[in-house]
Amino acid sequence: MGKTILRTRNFCIIAHIDHGKTTLSDRLLEFTGTISEREKQDQLLDSMELERERGITIKAHPVTMWYRAADGLEYRLNLLDTPGHVDFSYEVSRSLAACEGAILVVDAAQGVEAQTVANVHLAHKHKLVIIPVINKIDLPNADVEGVKKQLEDILAIPGEESILCSAKQGIGIGEVLEAVVQRIPPPVEEDEILRGLVFDSVFDGYRGVVGYVRIFSGSVERGQEVTLMSTGRHYEVKEVGIFTPKPQVQEKLVAGDVGYFIANIKTTAEVKVGDTLTDGKRPAEEPLPGFQEVRPMVFSGIYPINTADFEHLKAAMSKLQLNDAAFVFTPESSVALGFGFRCGFLGLLHMEIIQERLRREYNMDIIATYPSVVYQVEKTNGEVVEVDNPAHLPDMSVVREIREPIVRCYVLVPNENIGDIMQIMMEKRGTVEHTESLDTRRVMITGILPLNEILVDFHDKIKSVTRGYGSMDYEPAGYRAADLVKLEMLVNGEVVDAFSSIVHRDKAEARGRALAQKLKEVIPRQLYQVAIQAAIGGKIIARENVSALRKNVTAKCYGGDITRKRKLLEKQKEGKKRMKAIGTVHIPQEAFIEVLKAN
Amino acid sequence: MGGVSARCKHLYVHIPFCPKICPYCNFYKEGANRWKIPKFLDALILESRKIAHLVELETVFVGGGTPTALSSPQIQKLFLVFKQYLDFSKVSEWTIEINPATVSLEKARLLLELGVNRASLGVQSWDSSQLLTLGRVHTIFQAERSYNILRDAGFKNINIDLIFGIPGQTLKSWEKTLEKTCSLKPEHISAYALTYEEDTEFFFKLKNGIVQRDEDLEVRMFHLTQQYLEAAGYVGYEISNFAKEGFESKHNWAYWNGDEFLGLGPSAFSNFMGHRWQNIENTEEYTNRVHAGIDPKNFDEIVDYEIKLREKIAFGLRTRVGVPKFYLDEQKSGPLIEEGYLEVFGENVKLSQLGKILADEIAAELIP
Ligand SMILES: Nc1nc2c(ncn2[C@@H]2O[C@H](COP(=O)(O)OP(=O)(O)OP(=O)(O)O)[C@@H](O)[C@H]2O)c(=O)[nH]1
Ligand SMILES: C[S@@+](CC[C@H](N)C(=O)[O-])C[C@H]1O[C@@H](n2cnc3c(N)ncnc32)[C@H](O)[C@@H]1O
Ligand code: SF4
Ligand SMILES: [Mg+2]
Repeated sequence: MGKTILRTRNFCIIAHIDHGKTTLSDRLLEFTGTISEREKQDQLLDSMELERERGITIKAHPVTMWYRAADGLEYRLNLLDTPGHVDFSYEVSRSLAACEGAILVVDAAQGVEAQTVANVHLAHKHKLVIIPVINKIDLPNADVEGVKKQLEDILAIPGEESILCSAKQGIGIGEVLEAVVQRIPPPVEEDEILRGLVFDSVFDGYRGVVGYVRIFSGSVERGQEVTLMSTGRHYEVKEVGIFTPKPQVQEKLVAGDVGYFIANIKTTAEVKVGDTLTDGKRPAEEPLPGFQEVRPMVFSGIYPINTADFEHLKAAMSKLQLNDAAFVFTPESSVALGFGFRCGFLGLLHMEIIQERLRREYNMDIIATYPSVVYQVEKTNGEVVEVDNPAHLPDMSVVREIREPIVRCYVLVPNENIGDIMQIMMEKRGTVEHTESLDTRRVMITGILPLNEILVDFHDKIKSVTRGYGSMDYEPAGYRAADLVKLEMLVNGEVVDAFSSIVHRDKAEARGRALAQKLKEVIPRQLYQVAIQAAIGGKIIARENVSALRKNVTAKCYGGDITRKRKLLEKQKEGKKRMKAIGTVHIPQEAFIEVLKAN
Repeated sequence: MGGVSARCKHLYVHIPFCPKICPYCNFYKEGANRWKIPKFLDALILESRKIAHLVELETVFVGGGTPTALSSPQIQKLFLVFKQYLDFSKVSEWTIEINPATVSLEKARLLLELGVNRASLGVQSWDSSQLLTLGRVHTIFQAERSYNILRDAGFKNINIDLIFGIPGQTLKSWEKTLEKTCSLKPEHISAYALTYEEDTEFFFKLKNGIVQRDEDLEVRMFHLTQQYLEAAGYVGYEISNFAKEGFESKHNWAYWNGDEFLGLGPSAFSNFMGHRWQNIENTEEYTNRVHAGIDPKNFDEIVDYEIKLREKIAFGLRTRVGVPKFYLDEQKSGPLIEEGYLEVFGENVKLSQLGKILADEIAAELIP
């Protein structure tokens, strides 16, 4: 059997988005005195500016707390706050793999939602003990009994196990901590060989890669020679420590601990998330069960508006990548946009966040192209290629079949919306697998849909038809053949590859027309007439014209006017520079964004 | 580019008073305040003494506002003092802006006597209802009478200012205005498209949908103007300016050429010794500062090579002379020439008839 680490508990907090994970974490930190009154601020663990502005968690944050329990003993509690949004669900799996238990937060007013279900499934997969916490009981519309029943009916979690809590008002925090100590099993150390699960890494400009690690057995300390099992590379440990939540240097990390190690590692690429850290001299024979490597689901091109910024952009992206292994990019070029990068993301939110960070933190003027999923294209010669950029779709004459990624989608909605959801799923080329009543009020509809169709507005649609009561989650479900075509947009006869998309034949024409119309609206009148066309397989299916500008002239230019006039022209000039010139046509950034929205 | 000489050849004088404020105008001006004027004129005189050693004048332009809002004695005193302090010996063009109904035969004669040889009359339109729309203080009859006064007094070089694109104006009525103007045979005509200048009543009305503009009609009026006036023997030597042979305004040419000039009075610009500056746009403060010996300058910028080049392109393109082709980036000018927006003649390029109406758009495209 092994040695039980009696005084340590590792747990994470899981929930549907916005049910209050981060707020509860804050309370736990306060209650245990981990953070002082002075350091207090809302959603403390959301440290990124974007996280704080959007009020969502993007990265998992580990933190160690000391808690003197009712039994009089002091425990070391390692908490991992996790993100709620589907795009970041891989972060959740990582955190789960590093824990023995999970606090499941459920909003007392919203009840169980799709991600609650998905996260519970994940937690079961990792054999974690679940502590249900019904949060926000302070809300006037809190329905504690109803939620308890949902827990039982939907998730088979005994309702009486749930702890009632208001993270906001600090109610029930002590009980949550007691439950962590009492219900979550302590870690068990198999033997004394070092095995640490790397569950994240960040890059520190001064010290290189900081690996986040959960030690399952053995120990690691400064000066020790270690190796990462997937690469076999050896390093000398420079520092180990824990998060309180600020990094705090420790003598050593022992079994059960969650902390970090620094070992002069230059690139995050060397530190694969899910890898096993072991002793250099006495390595473990088998690595820890890792977890599935994250694969980007959505690709989009990112181009600098000013071609001269290419290197800058590259540098900025590399920096972002250091702390975000899920974000990948490779150089590509576009006829319309010049040199840029093909970027892979976990989902649209992830994409938006990266783009916004590039703009905001790195001051980059960028254009992003329409997002695409990864298609499998089987050619007539039997070869199968993966296409993540519509511009690279092989000529249809050599294509036997195009297969698109599909997902299994769980949609949880009030009974009265079943019809609407089925309708939406059908519009999105989906099929309903089954419908299951969860309780008297709600159903869970499971469907198979093309990933491409749910990317942009599926979630919004569900939210809007259910007036906010519906929720959804999805997981990849393989590939499926479909009748897909390439829709191209032409500006003055030239294909603007950045506007190309792969769409289902039945939808191509309508979308082509909508796109042409949209572009007509956002491309300002200019010196030359602009012809916008949509084409499927070379055949023009829609056409719009932006007529040439009629008049733009200052009548009177007297002496005094010269400065003012010149400045106006300079401003106009700057405006043009911020647009992308395609031939003689200036296309404003919004056009690229509007194309995203046209659906 | 732009003559840089030891001495400045061009002088602008700004008289910021008007009998009535027009709702479309954003030139710096105010209602004529009789009590302010004497002290203001003294300030102008003081300021002129400061530049005395810098000038050897060839053109003078007294504008506004409405310079003829000044009384004859005021004008007489001011101009006499100017001529006393400043070197006027080489002046060949001396313009004064005149609002119809602010000039009598005596005043006109006085002006000529003092040396003014060019009169610019703000007629704007020969349609009574349009004058009303423009909020003009005069009638068409007064405008014609003023024109005749100027002629009778002996002005050999008269300009008439016109505005088109006035709300409610039709192509036909604009043609009538052109016709009437030509029948008077002025040496020079300025025909301006109505500009909705920010901070004016007209701008406010446009923004709030109280008046609408018809761009297509404006375009047609623009082309009609060019055709009509050229046919009547005027050469369009700048987008809005037309002259009989030998009557192009030298003073205006100086602006468009990027030549040096000095300006006196509130809001007046100067372009001299690599700097461009503007006096403060406030008559009272201007007056006080000058009297207190403080520089009335409000803003000052250095006109470096790049700025000069930009201005040269932006303003030069508008003229019949254009700019040397090598000023322009060929990648940009090429398609514009092909599309017929620019015309090449010899080593120079200028706006074509089609290009003129897009002058700003094209300039923005071409300036480096
Ligand atoms: N009334 C009330 N509001 C709460 C409570 N707990 C959290 N909230 C609010 O719920 C919102 C979401 O809280 P977060 O803690 O950011 O939720 P989260 O689950 O971490 O969200 P993600 O990280 O984006 O998944 C915030 O506006 C909180 O103030 C509570 O007990 N009562
Ligand atoms: C500064 S004004 C001075 C002349 C004199 N005060 C008058 O109004 O008769 C010179 C000319 O500019 C023109 N102008 C003024 N404001 C204008 C506008 N908003 N749009 C077009 N032309 C304008 C008018 O033709 C006017 O005659
Ligand atoms: S248009 Fe002439 S008269 Fe009217 S306010 Fe302007 S300067 Fe004065
Ligand atoms: Mg959070």
